[in-house]
Amino acid sequence: MALLLENLGFFLSGLEFTVRLALLTLVCAIVVSVLIGLMSVSQWRGLRVAALCYVEFWRDIPLLVNLLFIYFGAPLVGVPLKPFAAALLSLTLWGGANGAEIVRGGINAIGRHQFVSATALGLKRWEIYRYVVLPQALMPILPPMTGLCTTLVQATSLASLVGVNEFFRITQIVVERTTMQSGHSPAFLVYGFALMVYFAICSALTRLSRYLEQRLQKTGTSAIAAPRGFKESA
Amino acid sequence: MQASGAPLIEARNLAKAFGRTQALADVSCSIASGERLVVIGPSGSGKSTLIRCLNGLVKPDAGKITFDGDTIELSSEAHWRRLRQRVGMVFQDYTLFPHLTAIENIGLAPVRAGLMSKSEAELEARRLLERVQLAEKATSYPAFLSGGQQQRVAIARALAMRPQVLLFDEPTSALDPEMIKEVLDLMVSLARDGMTMVVVTHEMGFARAVADRVLFMEAGRIVEAGPPDQIFSNQNDSRTREFVRRIA
Repeated sequence: MALLLENLGFFLSGLEFTVRLALLTLVCAIVVSVLIGLMSVSQWRGLRVAALCYVEFWRDIPLLVNLLFIYFGAPLVGVPLKPFAAALLSLTLWGGANGAEIVRGGINAIGRHQFVSATALGLKRWEIYRYVVLPQALMPILPPMTGLCTTLVQATSLASLVGVNEFFRITQIVVERTTMQSGHSPAFLVYGFALMVYFAICSALTRLSRYLEQRLQKTGTSAIAAPRGFKESA
Repeated sequence: MQASGAPLIEARNLAKAFGRTQALADVSCSIASGERLVVIGPSGSGKSTLIRCLNGLVKPDAGKITFDGDTIELSSEAHWRRLRQRVGMVFQDYTLFPHLTAIENIGLAPVRAGLMSKSEAELEARRLLERVQLAEKATSYPAFLSGGQQQRVAIARALAMRPQVLLFDEPTSALDPEMIKEVLDLMVSLARDGMTMVVVTHEMGFARAVADRVLFMEAGRIVEAGPPDQIFSNQNDSRTREFVRRIA
């Protein structure tokens, strides 16, 4: 216990990196997700194909490989990246690809009838998305998107592999240093502490998400809104 | 502006295929201002397709449609969009926007189209809810309304655009029987106020009471057209007679 208190300042400096990386990643990944998600349902085939290629590429490679690929590959194309930037970029690209599929799924969950109905009222395509489809898509998007966000927060720990002194790296250093200095390993204590910190951050996220879900529930709609009494038209 | 009596909408030689099914094969009809046209026919006869050609939700493969004398460029979505502000539509499944209240549902399109400001839209929405006898449901969400109430809000929503024509695609087919009357009564009252209407329906009582003309369609063609008395009691074509007998 005393060990944890001794190194508190050290842990906090690492945590600062982690929180900064996590927040930036979440913001950037969500922006990319919405952009690519909208592209994948665009009326223009070129945009749809571009979105599909993006998603397939970044989704099908492991995040770790992704990170190393970007960190070591960037200088080769003339863009030297600091470790923090490389981590942010690779997490954003990967998170954006997965998020785009969540956004696309959410949009498709909103029945075509909503789109047709709004079209019949003379609304323009972007207006239909902005006022009718996307607000409803928030419900099916929110739970899986929250899952993705917690994964991204935990994935910031991978940044340690390219030299970012984020929280996990700090805990590693404390364990190694203490083991060398005192002969026994505080691994269980320190990593247990790390576990609790990540748990605290992620559960705060999920609690926020649940609150948002409840706010969306007030309209009485379920995730897949279907009008009552609907029959197939002749 | 055309003198009343001249066609408001004129459709000539419309054809539409979906894959290998010919939904419409050489269909022509016209609707005069103030006229109430009812379209009847069996499933798959093309009635829904026809009515959806009139506001561009379905784009015909061939044919010509004019609205108020102007020929419509059939493949231009932009042209149709402008037109849809004058041609309203009410669907079988009412499809209100579930995340908006009744008032918000009604006010969205007119505000976006620049017809009125937000505050004007709210007043107009309340007025329309009174018209459809749902004033007390202004701030209710669709999930808390019955089917009949939702359909009446959907009608109010279409009316908010101040259309010249209202298209109804089987507006009562998805309703429980006890709610059909309230919607039909509203439609009768709209007709009495002079609204030009094209109604696809199975409700023969309504057709008899309200229609100026009835079209009987089968297999993508208009078999017979005429006043309700002719179609329901004094048919020229045996197929018409058979259909009317079956649904009587």
